[in-house]
Amino acid sequence: MIEVKEITKRFGLKKVLKGVSFTANKGEITCLIGINGVGKTTVLNAIMNLTPIQSGEILIDGEKISKNSYEKITFIPDAITMLPQMTIGESMQFMKDFYKSWNQARAKELLDFFKLKEEEKISSLSKGNTAKVNLLLGLALDVDYLLMDEPFSGIDIFSREQIADVFTSHLVEDRGVIITTHEINDIEHLIDKVVLLDEGIVIKEFNAEEVRETEGRSVVDVMREVYKR
Amino acid sequence: MMNYVKLVNFELGRFMKIYLVLIGITVVSQIAGVMVSANSYLNIASEEMNVNSLSMDAFLQMYGVFSMNNVTRTLWFFGPIALCAVTLLIYVLFIWYRDWFGKNTFIYRLLMLPTERINIYLAKATAIFFMVLGLIACQLALIPIEGKVMQWMVPLDLRIDLTTLEVIHSFEYLGIMIPTTFSQFLVHYGIGLMAVLVMFTAVLFERCFRMKGIILGVVYAVISFFAFISPLLINEFVFPMFLYPGELFILECVAGFIVIACAIWTGHYLLNRKIRV
Repeated sequence: MIEVKEITKRFGLKKVLKGVSFTANKGEITCLIGINGVGKTTVLNAIMNLTPIQSGEILIDGEKISKNSYEKITFIPDAITMLPQMTIGESMQFMKDFYKSWNQARAKELLDFFKLKEEEKISSLSKGNTAKVNLLLGLALDVDYLLMDEPFSGIDIFSREQIADVFTSHLVEDRGVIITTHEINDIEHLIDKVVLLDEGIVIKEFNAEEVRETEGRSVVDVMREVYKR
Repeated sequence: MMNYVKLVNFELGRFMKIYLVLIGITVVSQIAGVMVSANSYLNIASEEMNVNSLSMDAFLQMYGVFSMNNVTRTLWFFGPIALCAVTLLIYVLFIWYRDWFGKNTFIYRLLMLPTERINIYLAKATAIFFMVLGLIACQLALIPIEGKVMQWMVPLDLRIDLTTLEVIHSFEYLGIMIPTTFSQFLVHYGIGLMAVLVMFTAVLFERCFRMKGIILGVVYAVISFFAFISPLLINEFVFPMFLYPGELFILECVAGFIVIACAIWTGHYLLNRKIRV
């Protein structure tokens, strides 16, 4: 389980996170939602120790993040994390060289799934294909937790559908996923848990399935209600 | 350890194209320098002896014999050395900043590698150090080749052949780059490595604290500089001429090691606790 406990974060004088707490379980898809600048990406960066926090604690399966944690949790940011001059194949080789959890068979499967070619250069890829490569590099790791920052941002509808298909496949099964997105409609039916952020705090945390079944409302309905207040 | 080696290899690979171009420029420019210098000398010799009917002895008295000394003082020779030095100096900064800037934020990947983050720091420093040593090795290999080219072009009566060591000694900048004793190597390359590490840590201050970090980085670099020269300052101003040269050398080495250790420790701390993407 990923436990985020009362984390605070300041950028200069601006306090972006004012005590954010939530948990994300293995086998569940947790969606962090909030308007731009609310600190969604900062939360993901903080979980991965890519930005320091002022106070609070983040635990992954009860332990603070360390070098070994990167074999069981990975982050897929909205920009590709490989060098533009590398080919997809070289990027895969880089991951294989450094990560024990790299699963080459799954990487090949994802390559076919996304219809990508190993010899293609990262710099020559379209935005949609860049997002797919990013996803491939994260999903091909045998990790327990996946963090995804805006995986649908700025890409065409067909690529979005293809990426959304990943969430229903065995590629994500049994893993804990934390995702931030604006394109909630694409994955609304897949989300298990929703964490709504506003002005640096969690304003609502709810089980999406429960809301759908007991209240007959969608995630978007709840969002509208909360953010219109 | 393996990850560190892989990172060094990766960092070297990233700079390889530019590095090979630098080596190519050095080889071409310096050999061209030998040819141009030798040709110009031979033209003067031919003119003085054939047109002005100067005897060889008189010519040699007037112009001196040709040697590698005539080449090392030309822009053809030290120009590419300066170019390599400036490129590597810029690269000390660029090696970090290129991971942050641009569309592809490679720093995410580097910081998320399942290895101690200090390995990234040490791998970058090692890569720079290897590149410097590689260029020096090329220069050392080039000097005898240039000597051979000179021998092919200039007749024995008009030239004097210098050994590699004599060429190095005859040109002070080469002497700095290619030390002839181990203690010299320790001093020259130790100071170089220390400067690179201090620069790296200063860059990390900037990357961690941005605008505030520039000031912190500059202050840190100044403190490191004074810490390093503190034995010299003490011997000059606090206890004038109190220490023997040997003692001063040992104290300088200790100060150097302390500065290097502090730079690495601070870099380690910043990468683990304060870095932001």
